[in-house]
Amino acid sequence: MSNFSFLNPFGVLDEPGTYMGDFYSNNFARKAQAGNVILNLGPQHPSTHGVLRVVVEMYGEYVVRSEPVLGYLHRSHEKMAEHKTAYGFLPNMGRVDYLNAIGWNWAYAGACEQLAGIECPERAEYLRVIAAELNRISSHLVWWGAFVLDLGAFTPILYAFDDRELICDILQRVTGSRLTMNYFRFGGVGADGDDLFFSKIRDFIPNMRERLKMYKALVTDNVILRRRLEGIGPMDADLCVRYGATGPLLRAAGVPRDVRRSIPYGIYDRFDYEIPVAETNDNFGRYWVRLQEISESLKIVEQAVAQIPPGKHIVDKAPKPSWKLPPGESVFSVEGARGEITVHVISDGGKSPYRVKLRAPGFSNLSVFAEAAEGTILADAIAILGSLDLVIPEIDR
Amino acid sequence: MKMLSAIWDNLKGLYSLLVGMCITGRYFFQPLKTVHFPRDVVEPENLASYRGPLELARGKTDESKTRCISCQMCAKGCPGNCITVVKSKEGKNPVTWLYDFTLCCLCGACVEVCPTAAIQFSHRLYLVSTSREALVLDLLKDLEERVAAGPLPAAGAGTPDAKKPEARMPDAGGPQKAAGGSAAPDPEG
Amino acid sequence: MELSKISVLSLVELVVACLLVIALMVANAIVMVYAERKGAGFIQRRPGPYEVGPWGILQPVADSMKLLAKQLFVPANVDFLLYFLAPVLAFLPVLLLFLPIPFGPYLTALKVPDGVVLILAFAGFGLLANLLAGYSSNNKYGILGAGRAVAQGVAYEIPMILALLAVVFQTGSMNLSDIAEAQGSAPWRWNFLCQPLAFFIYLVTLVAETNRAPFDLPEGESELTAGFHTEYSGMGFALFFLSEYANMLLVSFVCATFFLGGYKGPILDGFWWTFIKAYAVMAFIVWIRWTFPRVRFDQLLNINWKWLLPLSILNLWITAVIIKLV
Repeated sequence: MSNFSFLNPFGVLDEPGTYMGDFYSNNFARKAQAGNVILNLGPQHPSTHGVLRVVVEMYGEYVVRSEPVLGYLHRSHEKMAEHKTAYGFLPNMGRVDYLNAIGWNWAYAGACEQLAGIECPERAEYLRVIAAELNRISSHLVWWGAFVLDLGAFTPILYAFDDRELICDILQRVTGSRLTMNYFRFGGVGADGDDLFFSKIRDFIPNMRERLKMYKALVTDNVILRRRLEGIGPMDADLCVRYGATGPLLRAAGVPRDVRRSIPYGIYDRFDYEIPVAETNDNFGRYWVRLQEISESLKIVEQAVAQIPPGKHIVDKAPKPSWKLPPGESVFSVEGARGEITVHVISDGGKSPYRVKLRAPGFSNLSVFAEAAEGTILADAIAILGSLDLVIPEIDR
Repeated sequence: MKMLSAIWDNLKGLYSLLVGMCITGRYFFQPLKTVHFPRDVVEPENLASYRGPLELARGKTDESKTRCISCQMCAKGCPGNCITVVKSKEGKNPVTWLYDFTLCCLCGACVEVCPTAAIQFSHRLYLVSTSREALVLDLLKDLEERVAAGPLPAAGAGTPDAKKPEARMPDAGGPQKAAGGSAAPDPEG
Repeated sequence: MELSKISVLSLVELVVACLLVIALMVANAIVMVYAERKGAGFIQRRPGPYEVGPWGILQPVADSMKLLAKQLFVPANVDFLLYFLAPVLAFLPVLLLFLPIPFGPYLTALKVPDGVVLILAFAGFGLLANLLAGYSSNNKYGILGAGRAVAQGVAYEIPMILALLAVVFQTGSMNLSDIAEAQGSAPWRWNFLCQPLAFFIYLVTLVAETNRAPFDLPEGESELTAGFHTEYSGMGFALFFLSEYANMLLVSFVCATFFLGGYKGPILDGFWWTFIKAYAVMAFIVWIRWTFPRVRFDQLLNINWKWLLPLSILNLWITAVIIKLV
């Protein structure tokens, strides 16, 4: 701020264009009303979860206008796919969204299998469901902790990580890693679950149910949290559809859309579970939907562990690293923790795919923010940002 | 009437705050869950499936010989191009086996394609280094050192030393010492 | 001759008292930094500071060494005078506030008849420091934090005064020693039972006055990064930190004196009772900080103007009526 003076102590914009900033803030400031403050939230702000940057025009504590600025964590995953073999791109999938690695694994493996017409063995399908649902729970747990941290409570995130560690241990048994998991292969999964894997899951489920009760008593029922969330950040179905927001955002707006139900993939049609839907449209609805999803995922895991048949975890003659995709294209969607993950693979039969398009749910979900945060006060805008469950690497890809 | 219900709401809210305080108060007296890293490490059982940097498996007949036949399947299949295998002129056995850990994404493609099961994941969790060059590991040398250090312990051999972190770090030493940076990793990252 | 002798003596006494109070403030900060981090650790099931010294007890020393050694970073275009004045202003008035507190039956730094007035008059001084810090540091987060600090501090001072006034009504004295003395030794006759509403209001306002969670809006970390002291580093930050803990200690001592019987106890009256009670209140403040989410700013003001203020007036009125009748 070079225009600081005692007559103008707030760095208020007297005339457009006097603001010293980069292209984004200058462009943003051009439309600002005189007397409003342009505030840069991020990329190093504590509650933008990494390197998201939001330029906000503020009138006092009120957010008049906001604009997310992306691209601080762009790693060109889509371009990388064009230089690697189809198999070689699999490990990238664990890195697109570090909290929901299995969801992305499934989306890409599913798209390639659909294109090549590979069928998975029964046992592999069950292992996929178990891994995906456990990963969904762990992703929601991190979100829960981080969201409550955004609202100012420090302790719950550590309780959430307590439970998440158990899931990491379980998934490490089969995937070998705790975060950027690379578990799926074309035609099955990388490793079969052993007895310890299943017994750990069986121990985990009742333990987690007990902890969910504690979460409810400590956080969900807390009056401060309730009043911070209820009725804040309305995003109705129309808004979500216009921006393409999916997942818990859409379900909290009263639309029961879940890819597991609407375009069933894998063996999700064999399990008994519900799609939680909230009609309230607010931050609390999104919070409630995600917590319900944890218990629904627990139900699915419980059934899958009970029903899992013996057999092989991967097809015979599974594709090797040098395997070439047959020419053609395919689109495959799965329900990730943050919403609908879609992978579009186009192949010309060459060594590597011709083009891979990754549709990240977080990108569309973030676009809703500018409209939803309009006219709220700063603390609420932060709460809305938290309720979107953003993972910046996934948005930037 | 509205006022009464507002008062009632707030009283209920105060009760919910009390419930929250009881929970944190109870956890205050419960045992800690932290693993004090440099003094204590996670259970070895937990590391059994952990994918650390690659290592060469011991030979079936002669432990000090690698099973590798220099077929280059791993080097070709690797998405990150982190493996360099140079075949010797006389036979199939490799003369150089370089593995660049900085490029490795631990995906397991090499382990899966290897026709002789010559490559495996180590459980070396604590590999740190202060330079990039030190992370280009010579796996043949590493194998030699491991074999020289002694035979493979029988599975499930529970020595009293297993409580000590050094004993639990599989294959401590080797390239780790060569790296010159065996200090504890920075907990911040 | 006689007169000057007395004044010199009392001056020496005052200087010694000031030094002791400074020592208390610093010692308190050191103890509380450790206790708070340990407490937070245990609540979150981790050990807290652990590496520096046995069980990490040297952590506060290491922290203060770090703060002393750090560069005093001054951002561009700050108002130099105010920027450097603000931390000092935050620290100094707290010193004055400790003087009338009766730590023990004979252990009072400055025996003034109207100690309550002195405390309440100078308690608002810290606000000015927060305002100046946020204003002078040429940072938008700082300005927002400063604005919040003033609105919050001014608002919460009123119910605080009214709650304390009810106790003053009951005792009929503004002398803190008298208030402690009047409560007697039996715990059931202490004011937290005789004046439960005033005690509750005071507990809420003391958290808000010291800017602690869940009312830590002026520095609200997830919204304003660090609020009014965003641009302070090194000793500037250390002084704010010190004054925050000193303020906590002060309101805890006031709470102990007004509501928990002061230096009186079931057995063996003395300053230890004051310290035990004050640190119990401190533990309570730490405990709620690590439990609750932060309230929103408009909610914070609503709690004050719509609930605490009417309640405290009601409480004062009831107290007055009862005193008149009895």
